[in-house]
Amino acid sequence: MARITVTVRVFGQRGTRRLRLQARARVTDLLRSLGYNPEVVATRRDGKIVAEGERLANGDLVEIIPIVTGG
Amino acid sequence: MLRCSLCGRRAVYDRHYAGVLLCDRCLVKSVERRFRRAIAEHKLIAPSERIAVAVSGGKDSVVCLHMLAEHLRLRNCELAAITIDEGIKGYRDRSLPIAKENAELLGVRHLVVNFEDAFGATLDRMVRLAKRRKTGLNPCTYCGVMRRSLLNQAARELGADKLATAHNLDDEVQAIMLNYVRADLSRLHRLGPIYSPREGFVPRIKPLREIPEKEVALYALLRELRVHLAVCPYAGGIHIEIRDFLNNLEANHPNSKFMILRMFDRLKPQVVRGVPEFEMRRCEVCGEPTSTNVCKSCELLKKLGLEKQRKTLIY
Ligand code: SF4
Ligand SMILES: [Zn+2]
Ligand SMILES: [Zn+2]
Repeated sequence: MARITVTVRVFGQRGTRRLRLQARARVTDLLRSLGYNPEVVATRRDGKIVAEGERLANGDLVEIIPIVTGG
Repeated sequence: MLRCSLCGRRAVYDRHYAGVLLCDRCLVKSVERRFRRAIAEHKLIAPSERIAVAVSGGKDSVVCLHMLAEHLRLRNCELAAITIDEGIKGYRDRSLPIAKENAELLGVRHLVVNFEDAFGATLDRMVRLAKRRKTGLNPCTYCGVMRRSLLNQAARELGADKLATAHNLDDEVQAIMLNYVRADLSRLHRLGPIYSPREGFVPRIKPLREIPEKEVALYALLRELRVHLAVCPYAGGIHIEIRDFLNNLEANHPNSKFMILRMFDRLKPQVVRGVPEFEMRRCEVCGEPTSTNVCKSCELLKKLGLEKQRKTLIY
């Protein structure tokens, strides 16, 4: 099956990483593959907040923002 | 592209527990509506009251500050923000300027009360002392007890009718579960949208109590509010385990958090009946209200070889 490549950055961390995913993968698949529960992060694609059910496309830049903070 | 279930614009959020997708505008509106509904339904604020709000600079408290400022402007209520600076290097020193900046932006009076002035030591130092003296208590015990006490005292000295805190749905459900796990009825019964204990205590209100943490965060991001997104270096232990457990539960069984909250609210009248009445006194050391001879803060301080330094916070 065809695959896509997306670039992932985590807010507050240095650098980016590239990730290969199934074609038509959703934001939630990406989060799960990196071990994030969607409850605890917000996600931006190309600078805009996206719903976790949104499908990703080849070349997308995804930013993961951990939102569970404080203490 | 996923579309908003209400208006058809581009969706930014899957509200799984309600089975809807929301766009930026509908999410912001919904969060604000829940905030106003909590205030109206539980009569959290009466006209012309003076409200104090605890603001750390984190997303929850900044959102709470903005929504309160906008809400109260129309209701002839006075608002003041209080930041407790516990003295946590690399954490609170970064959030404090953000609290200040937001208060200034809104033209809200801002007051900073710090542990060092009040107790003669920062939390960082208390943690070192606790380790040396082998008290066996974790940083959050000192932090939680003393911050609560200072917040209450500062709000009272400001003449506030209510003290608002930014506890969201996740915070409240975590507290419910924690008190179950610890079988702590006396703390459990204080949870709720409003807690008005006795004289000497300013009633506490939680207008964000029915807003999930993720929605508070998205609200802050969508409105581009300046917030401090970081985790306290002392955070850990059972709190984190309960938080992770609840988030896994919610991901696999949407609406679980609300169900736990609703069940607690239904049980609460019975819970309250099970808590024995106690007499209110003044702490022999610092004069703050307490149910025992010496308040919890003074008790903790004594074991660290410290004592409350300032009896009055605001001059
Ligand atoms: S995690 Fe503990 S020490 Fe840190 S701010 Fe919260 S209560 Fe205080
Ligand atoms: Zn909409
Ligand atoms: Zn005392």
